[in-house]
Formats: sequence, structure tokens, C-alpha cells
Amino acid sequence: MKKLFFLFIALTLVLGLTITVSADSHANEEYRISVVLKATNSDYWKSVQAGAEQAAEDYGVEVSVVGPSNETQVMQQINLLEDQISRQVDGLVVAPLRPAAAKTVLEKAVNRGIPVITIDTDADFKGKISFAGTGNFQAAQKAGNYMAEKLGGEGEIAIVRGAAGDYVHDQRVDGFLDAISDTNIKAVSIQPADSQRGQAVSVMQNILQTYPNIEGVYGTNDEMALGALRALKSANADEGMTVIGFDGSPDAIKSIRNGGLTATVKQDSYNIGYMGVELMVKTLNGEEVPEVVPVPTKIINKDNVDESIKELRKAFSRERLEDVFGKDVIEEVLD
Amino acid sequence: MEKTNNDFVKWKNIIFEKFGAIFGLLFLVIALSFLSPYFLTVNNITNVLQQASINALVASGMLLAILTAGIDLSVGSVLALAISIGGISIVNYGINPVIGILIVLAVGAAAGLINGLLLTKLNLPHPFISTLAMMNVARGLALIVTDASPVSGLPEWIQFIGNGYIGQIPFSFILVIAVAIFFHFFLNKTTLGRHIYAVGGNPEAARLSGIDTKKVLTWVYTISGIMAGMGGIVLMGRVNAAYPNAGLMYELDAIAAVIIGGASFLGGVGTIWGTLIGAMIIAVIRNGLNLLGVAASLQTVVLGIVIIVAVYIDVLRRKKA
Repeated sequence: MKKLFFLFIALTLVLGLTITVSADSHANEEYRISVVLKATNSDYWKSVQAGAEQAAEDYGVEVSVVGPSNETQVMQQINLLEDQISRQVDGLVVAPLRPAAAKTVLEKAVNRGIPVITIDTDADFKGKISFAGTGNFQAAQKAGNYMAEKLGGEGEIAIVRGAAGDYVHDQRVDGFLDAISDTNIKAVSIQPADSQRGQAVSVMQNILQTYPNIEGVYGTNDEMALGALRALKSANADEGMTVIGFDGSPDAIKSIRNGGLTATVKQDSYNIGYMGVELMVKTLNGEEVPEVVPVPTKIINKDNVDESIKELRKAFSRERLEDVFGKDVIEEVLD
Repeated sequence: MEKTNNDFVKWKNIIFEKFGAIFGLLFLVIALSFLSPYFLTVNNITNVLQQASINALVASGMLLAILTAGIDLSVGSVLALAISIGGISIVNYGINPVIGILIVLAVGAAAGLINGLLLTKLNLPHPFISTLAMMNVARGLALIVTDASPVSGLPEWIQFIGNGYIGQIPFSFILVIAVAIFFHFFLNKTTLGRHIYAVGGNPEAARLSGIDTKKVLTWVYTISGIMAGMGGIVLMGRVNAAYPNAGLMYELDAIAAVIIGGASFLGGVGTIWGTLIGAMIIAVIRNGLNLLGVAASLQTVVLGIVIIVAVYIDVLRRKKA
């Protein structure tokens, strides 16, 4: 019985600890806005989160940013959305993992008088206020166009993509293929590497065995593009090769600066998060907001790489950037 | 008089056996009621019941496997394959949705039957291996048949299974209760049900007493497959689509529900009610932490600790007994 007692004490402590860890920002602000992302475990979503939190600070509202453990957990995100409705938040800003699946729960929120704004990925449901973002498809088209420009409109390329059936990566592949469809560029191999750098290395090695003549590689995230680049380097096949990533992560930007990756597509994740919260605050204040707010996407290459490092500083601490790029680079670029 | 007394002892034992789980659930409910003003609301409780449903159904099948000292790692993938084939039959081939639902269950049953036969006919050494193989095969097939994209356009009433209510109670939870009552009688009153306990408790003794162990095991994995299919039907209703990435990691939640519910990994011990409470505990933890704004990453840490605590309480109880 004594041991049981201690177990209960331990359990209470664990619960208490998680509460203290989580309840750090319970100021008495006016609006409580919930931002539900697709995940919180990547640089992209961390940057969206940073934007949302900055907007919360600027407007003096309470924002909680949450998301499922990774981008395949569709069901988990729906549960998370339901729980935000239970929390009776004043507004819901959502990046839906699967727009069709989220329809029911988003309409439920609207019916309970909670305004809903989508960010990053749009969804179709009754009562939507606004959407901020460009979408992966349109961003991937930019990557396709850039590849076409680099290769002069012809040649064989390979695509290393996220897991089969992953909606985001489907969009990133489809947009790219759409952009190169009226050129003579041929995607000879499209292989999944589950969004992981390590796996992309082996996938790229295998592709090189079968298609030694490829001139370009497109990775549907930066991690995979960097993995592919490593495989190309170890096979001495990186000379003159165009390697394009997606996301604009610090590692990718560093590689571009050092002459590794050719380019990466960057959706303005920070502003997507910022916009979402800003639009919601305006809505709650009774202001009219536009139905669609496009957030620009850009290609980062050698020409604008230093400028993009400055941008990164919005979402990441100086220490983090110094760890990635080295102290001297950060001093040179930022100071 | 004597019979009543026996009944009393029996019920006392049953409640005692569930000691950890029921009290754990009560503890969580009371604690969360204090911590969040939104927890103990009708709206939220119905959410929790709904959120527990899929796992409760899948875990019911998992319970059978664990009762025989086995495991079924394939449930998440089998769920995905079953709804993928069912979804395609309905949407792409225009098959009557009622038959489509039966197809989902049939695919689950077929995959489960293969799991069972791999174990009993090919004599693969442990269900860990046969179901690990099925986990990969079924996931791959689900991606192949759907061409790796979601199947949407299911009829409205299938959504009712996942999102509908009868009065204030989610339909999916009524389904769970019906299944639990069925399993209760199946496990306690039927020959096959009793044999499942016997095979898990002491396989050697079970065989010597003339129980056809292989037949029992084949049934166990087949039923587990059917329950994965049933969980899939609710999931289809919840997300209004069938998709090949559904049910990722569901085997782990199902195993956790069964174990938190007081079943023994060594086999022979465990009840359907314990498993149901286990599934509720997991759903309450997730929901409660969501309401408190705790990040998903921290939630998995808490869940891990809860599993250890639940099993340790069980260990202590057994030591005392």
C-alpha cells in the first residue's frame, strides 16, 4: 500500500510538472486564439510558430500553437481541433493536414461561433473567413520552372520525395511536374525517401545506378535534397548537377552558401504564421478581411542567400544560427 | 444464498482485478476537472468517448492476441488496407456501401486469417514475426490499391458511424459498448472464449486437455483482423475518407490500452472491460493534455510513464496476492 501511495504521488508530480511546463503564458489577454499546425517537429513549422507568436505579442492576444506529432497523423489533428473547440477559444487558425477530413470538425467550430482561418493549406468548408498562404502546389511550380531554367529546358532529372500517400509531398511533386510538363525535361525516376536525409542517400545511390545521365535532382524537402547531394558527392557526380530542395531550412541555406545545393524553394513560413494570427485578430475586432491573402514564395540561390539568412533570424535565435553557419558567417551577414 | 455470496466474491475479484485501471481513470478525471474548466463539459466528454472509440475497437482484437501470450502488430496496417479496399469498392466501383462495409470487415478477417495460418501452419516461431510481416505487406498493398492517394466521396451515413450522435452519445461509442458486451459473453460463456484464456494461461496444459490450440490461435488473429476493420469503418466515418496512411502506429496505442487495462503480456489474464478502460485512459490523457495546451511531444512522454506506472501497479498487486 505504501508503494501504491508513492506511485500516486509520482503520478501527481508528473501531471503537475507537465502543467507547469505548459502553462507559461497565461496572461489576462483579450482574445484566446488557437493555432493548429500540421506538426511542430520541423524547422518549417517552428518558423510558422515563431511568426504566430510574434503576431500574438504585437497584438497583445493569447495564442497557443499546437500540432500533431508528425504530418501523417490526420486523426490526431482532428482530435486536437475538437479539443480546441472544447476549450472555447475565440478563434481557430488551422493548417489542415487533409482538407477533406477536417471539413466536419471545422464546420462544427463555425457552428459554435468560432471563426476559422486556414493557413498554409486551404480547405473547403462552410463559413471560412480567410486563407493565408500560397500552397505547396504553386510553390513547387516555381521549383519546376527554376529547374527548367537551369537545365535550359531539356534533360533527365530525378525526384526524391516524401512517403507515398503523404498529401503535402503529393502536392510538391504534382506542382513540379506540372511546371516541367511543357518542357523537354523528363522526370525519369520518382522515389520516396520518407522525408529523411539518411534514407535519401541510399535512394539517390540506387537512382544513380539505373540513371547515370541525370542532370538534376529535386527533393521535396531540404533534408532529402541534402541527402541526395551527399550521395552525388560520394559518387563524384555532383559536378554540374542542379539540386533543388524545398523549405529553406538553415542547413539547406548553409549548403547553398557553400556551393552545395543549387537552390531551395522557401514559402514564407514566418509570415504565414504571422498573417494567420493577424487576420484572426482583425476578424475578432469586426474588421473585414480578404478571402485570400497570398504569401509569396521565393527561390533561394547563391544570389540572395545572405539576405535569406537575415530572414531566418526572425524565426531562429542567433545561437541556433551560429551553431549552423558558424560564428564568423553570422557576424559577417548580420552585423 | 450461497450463490449470491459466490457472485459477490466473483464481482469483488473482478473489480479488484481492475483496481489500477479504474482508479487510474478516476484519478485522471478528477485531476483534469480541477486543472481545466473545459474538461468536465458534455461537449468534451462526448469528444473523449468519440476519440477513444477507434482504439477501443482495435484494442479489443489486440486483447485476444495478448490473452494467448501473442501480439498483433499488423492491426494499423490491416485497418488501412481494409478501408482502402472498401473505400475503392464503394467510390470507384459503385458497390452498395453496405456491402462495402462488409468488404472492409472481410478484408480484415482475411488478413487476420493469414496471420493465424502463418503462425499455425507455417509454424513461424512467434506471432511477432508473422504480424510484423503482415504489417509491412498490408501497408504496401494499401498504398498500391489506392495509388497512394485518399479515397473520398463516401455516402453521408458512413460519416454518421464516425461523427453521429444518438441523443448526446456518440454512435461510435455505442458501437464500442455493444462490442464490449459481445466480447464479455464471448470470452466468458463460449467454449472458444474460455479456450483463449486456457491457451494463454498454460498452453501445455491446454493441449493436454484436448484443446485444439492451433484452431484457437487462428480464430484469435482472424477476430483481431475483423476488429481492425471495424476500427477502420469508424475512422472512415470520422475523416470522411479512406486513405492508405491511416492507422499508423495504432498497434502501439492498442497494445498500451490492453496493458494499461490490466492484461498480462504472459497471457491468460485480462478482460474486455479493462481494455475499454485502458483505451479511455489513453484518450483522456491525450484530450486533457490538449485542453491544457501541452505539446504532442510531451504527451507521448506522459503516456509512456503511465504505461510503466500501470504495469508496475499490476506487478505490486500480483506480489501481494
